Amino acid sequence: MKMNMPVTNNEVVMKAGTILVTRTDLKGVITFANDAFIDISGYSRAELIGSPHNIVRHPDMLSVVYEEMWNTIKKGNPWHGVVKNRTKAGDFYWVSANAMPHLENGVSIGYISVRHAPSRMDIKEAEQLYHNVVTHQAKLHSTGVTAFFKKIKEISLGKKLALASVLLAAPNVFLMSEFLNSADYGWLSIVAAFTVLGGLIVLKVSNETHQLVTLSISELQKLSANKFSAPPNLRRDDQFGDLFRTIYGTSIKVGSDLGHLNQDAADALRIISGLENVQSSVLITNADLDIIFVNQSAKTLFSKVESDVKKLLPNFRADKLLGSNIDVFHKNPEYQRQLLDNLVDSANYNLDLAGHLFQIIVKPVISADGSRIGYIAEWLDRTQENKIEREIEHLVNSIRFGDLSARIHLGDKEGFTKSLSININGLTDMIESVFVDINAIIQKMADGDLTGNILTDYQGIYAQCKDNINEAITKINQFIQQIRESANFVNNASQEIASGNNNLSHRVEQQAASLEETAASMQELASIVKSNAANTQHASQVVQSTAKLAEKGGDVVKSAIAAMQEINESSSRIAEIIGVIDDIAFQTNLLALNASVEAARAGEQGRGFSVVATEVRNLAQRSAIAAAQSNELIQTSVQKVRSGTAFVNETGAALIEIVDSIIKVGEIVSHITNSSNEQSAGISQVNQAVTQMDDITQQNAALAEEAAANSMAMSEQSAKMTQFISVFKVSDKSSLWVARPDDSAPLKTVVKPKRAALVQSYPTHNSDDWEEF
Amino acid sequence: MTTDHIAVNSKQIEQFLTFELANEVYGVEILKVQEIRGWEAVRVIPNAPSFIKGVLNLRGSVIPIVDLRERFSLEHCDYTQKTVVIVLCVKRHRAETFVMGIVADAVSDVLDIKLSEIKKAPNFGSQLDTRYMRGMHVYKKNMIMLLDVDKLLNPDELDDIETISDSVSDYDELL
Repeated sequence: MKMNMPVTNNEVVMKAGTILVTRTDLKGVITFANDAFIDISGYSRAELIGSPHNIVRHPDMLSVVYEEMWNTIKKGNPWHGVVKNRTKAGDFYWVSANAMPHLENGVSIGYISVRHAPSRMDIKEAEQLYHNVVTHQAKLHSTGVTAFFKKIKEISLGKKLALASVLLAAPNVFLMSEFLNSADYGWLSIVAAFTVLGGLIVLKVSNETHQLVTLSISELQKLSANKFSAPPNLRRDDQFGDLFRTIYGTSIKVGSDLGHLNQDAADALRIISGLENVQSSVLITNADLDIIFVNQSAKTLFSKVESDVKKLLPNFRADKLLGSNIDVFHKNPEYQRQLLDNLVDSANYNLDLAGHLFQIIVKPVISADGSRIGYIAEWLDRTQENKIEREIEHLVNSIRFGDLSARIHLGDKEGFTKSLSININGLTDMIESVFVDINAIIQKMADGDLTGNILTDYQGIYAQCKDNINEAITKINQFIQQIRESANFVNNASQEIASGNNNLSHRVEQQAASLEETAASMQELASIVKSNAANTQHASQVVQSTAKLAEKGGDVVKSAIAAMQEINESSSRIAEIIGVIDDIAFQTNLLALNASVEAARAGEQGRGFSVVATEVRNLAQRSAIAAAQSNELIQTSVQKVRSGTAFVNETGAALIEIVDSIIKVGEIVSHITNSSNEQSAGISQVNQAVTQMDDITQQNAALAEEAAANSMAMSEQSAKMTQFISVFKVSDKSSLWVARPDDSAPLKTVVKPKRAALVQSYPTHNSDDWEEF
Repeated sequence: MTTDHIAVNSKQIEQFLTFELANEVYGVEILKVQEIRGWEAVRVIPNAPSFIKGVLNLRGSVIPIVDLRERFSLEHCDYTQKTVVIVLCVKRHRAETFVMGIVADAVSDVLDIKLSEIKKAPNFGSQLDTRYMRGMHVYKKNMIMLLDVDKLLNPDELDDIETISDSVSDYDELL
C-alpha cells in the first residue's frame, strides 16, 4: 500500500459546488484530471497525468474502503463514499466521492471518479465509521444475521413474488385438499377457482412488475450509457408511470446537459483545433502557469530555437513543454509570476531568449466567476523581423549618408522578408543606378565632355530627372556650340574690326588733311560770295533802269495801238466809200445796159446812142473794176492793219510781261544779294564748323587708334574664349536630339560592373555594421 | 422777128443781152428785154411752182419773177448785190405778149452777134426739152447759150403764170 507522506493537520475545504473529476484507465492510472482537481491536489497536471490515482491517497484512509470500492466498481456497479485525500503539500481535504466504470459500448474502458463537497455531517459520520472500523467496533459490511436479512431483503422481486404466491397459495391448497377429502366439490371448485384466479393475478402483477422494473433498469442503463430513447409508456397512472416520467425527465435533463457539454466540448475543440493550427505560436497555462496547451506553430518555434536556448537554459526541452511550468523560460521566475499576477489585461513582453527575440502577448484568462484560471500567451519570433529591421535601418542610414552600395543580404531571408528585401534592394539599385548615371554624366560634364546622355530607362521622377538632365546637356551643348560659333564670329569680327579701325585711323588722318583744305577753300568761297553780293547789287540797279525803259516801251506800244485803230477805222470808211463807188458803177452799168436796150429798140436812130451807152457801160465797168481793185487794196490794208494791231498788242503784252519779269528779276537779284550775305555768314559758320570738325577729326583719329588697339585686345580675348570653349567636347547636332539605341549598350556595361563590385563587397561591409549595432 | 427776116438779112446783126447763170453765160435778144433791174424783194405767191419766186410791182403793174436756176434745175444760190432781174416781154400764141422777170446772177454785156454765127442747138432727142434754146454762139472761147424767150416757159406754165400777170396791152399803155 502506498503511503504518501508527510501529512499535516491542515484541512483544505472544498468549495461548495466544486466538482473534482478524474478518469483512470483500468489499472487506476490517471488519464484526466480537471482543473479543480489539479488545483486542490497541489500537483501539476504533468505530475498527475500518468500517475496512479493513489498519488492523492491520505494515510488515514483505510485500505478496506478502497478494496470495497474496487470490488464494487469492478463488478460494474457505482460506488459512493466520503473520502479523505492528501494534497501535495501534505494537507488533507474531504470529498464525497462517486466512482463508477467508464462504459463504452457496454464495455468498461476505465473508471470515472466524481467528487462533490461533503457536508460536515457526512465527514463526521465517515470519521466515526472509519474510527469504529479501525477500533473494530464496526465493519464496513454487515455479517451473520444482518447479512442474511440483508440478503433476503435484497432478493429479486420475482423471487419475492413467487415466495409470496407460494405462501398465499399454501392454505388454499390445504383447504382444497380438505374439500377434496370431504368431497365437497362445490366449495372445492369455488376455492380452486379463486386460488387459480388469485394465482393468475399475482402472476400477472409479478410479471408486469418484473417487466417494468427490468424496463426501468434497461432505460437507466441506456441513460448511463448516454443512449436516449422514448420510454414505452409515459401515460400510466400508477407509480410505474411516475417512475417512467421521472426517468424520462432525468434523461431529458441529462441529455440536455450532455448536449450542452458536447456543444461546449465541440466549441472548445474547435477553438483548440483552431488554435492548434493558427500561425501564431500559442501557449496556454493554468493559473499555476503550468503549460496546458502548446499549438503546432509553437512546437515548431520552440523546437527550432531549442538548441540555442539550451545553451542558456540546459533544462529546456521543446517536446516536454506541455505540462511543464513557464518558469523554464525565465532565469528569475518569481519576478515573472509577480508580473503575471498583477496582469489584468493583455500585455506585451519582449523576451531575449539566447539571442532569439520574442514578443509575447499575454492575457489572463478569467473564468465566469471572476477567478483567474490561466493565461494565454502568443509568442512571436521577432528575431528575423528584428534582423531585417536592423538591416533596413542600416541600409536607410547608409543611403541617408550617401552610401548606396549597401544591400540587404538575401541568403537568410524567406517569404515576405525576402520579397521585401528584394524590393528594397531593387529600390536601392534603382536609386544607385540613378545616382551613378547622374554622377557619371555630371563627371563627364565637369571634364568638359558634353557628348554623353543618360540612356538607362527610368520611370516617373527618375525619368523626368533623366530627361531633364539629358535636355540640359543638349541645351548646354547647343549653348556651347552657339558660344563657340559666336566666339569664332567675335574673333573674326574683332580682327576685322581691328583692321577696320586701322583703316579708319588712316582715313581719319586723311580726313583731317582734307578738312584743312576745305577750310582754305571755304575762305576763298567767302570772298567770292562777297563779290557776288556786290555784283548782284549792281545788277539790281541795272534791272531797275531796264524796268523803267520797258514801261516806256509799253506806253509807246499803247499809242501805236491807238494809231493802228484809227488807221483801221479810216480803212473801213474808205472801203465803204469804195462800196458806194462800186454800187454807182453797178447802177451806171445797169443804166447803160437799159440805154443799150432802149438804143437797140430805137434801131438805126439809136445807133449813136447805143455807142454812147456802150462807152458809158465800159466806163462803168472800168469804175467797177477800179472800185473792186481799190476795195481789194483797202481790204488788204485793213487786213494788214489788223495783223499789225495784233502784233502791237502782243508787243504791248510782251512788254508788260518784260516789265513784270524785270521786276521779278530785280526781286530775285535782291534775294540773291540777301542770300549772298547770308551765304557769307553761313560760310563763316561753315568755316568755324570745319575748324571744329578738324579738331574732332583729330580726336577721332586718336579714338580710332585706341579702338584699333582695343579691337586687337578683343580679338585676343575672343581667341582665348574660343580656346576655352574648345575644352568642351560637344556631340554633333544629330546625336543631341536622338539617343541612339546602340549607345546604350556600352554605357550600361560601364555602369554595371561598378554596381556588381559594390554588391559583392556588401556582406563583409554589412557584418561590420552589424557589429556596430 | 421771123426766120424769113433772117434769111433776107443773112448778113444782119442782132444784139443780145448776155447774163451769167451759174458761171455760164446765156444770151437773150435785146429787143425782148424791157428793162434790167437790180434784185429787190418780191411778194411771195403761195402755192405757186417753185421756180416762180413771186411777183414784183413794176411801176404799178404786177409781173411774175422766174428763177432760171430753178427752171433749168441748176444748183441754188443766194441772191447778191449783183443779182439782177431782167424784165422780158414774152410773145404768146394769139400774138399776145406779157411781161415777166427772170433772175440772173449778173448781166454781162450787150453783144452784136451776126445771125450766121449762131450755131443751131444740138438735138438730144424728143425726151429732152430743148425748145427754149435758140442756138449757141462762141464768143472769146466762151460758149453763150442763146435763149428763145418766147419758149422759155411751156404753155401750161405760161397759163399758170399768166393768171398772175398783167396783159401786154397794159404794158403798152404804160409805155
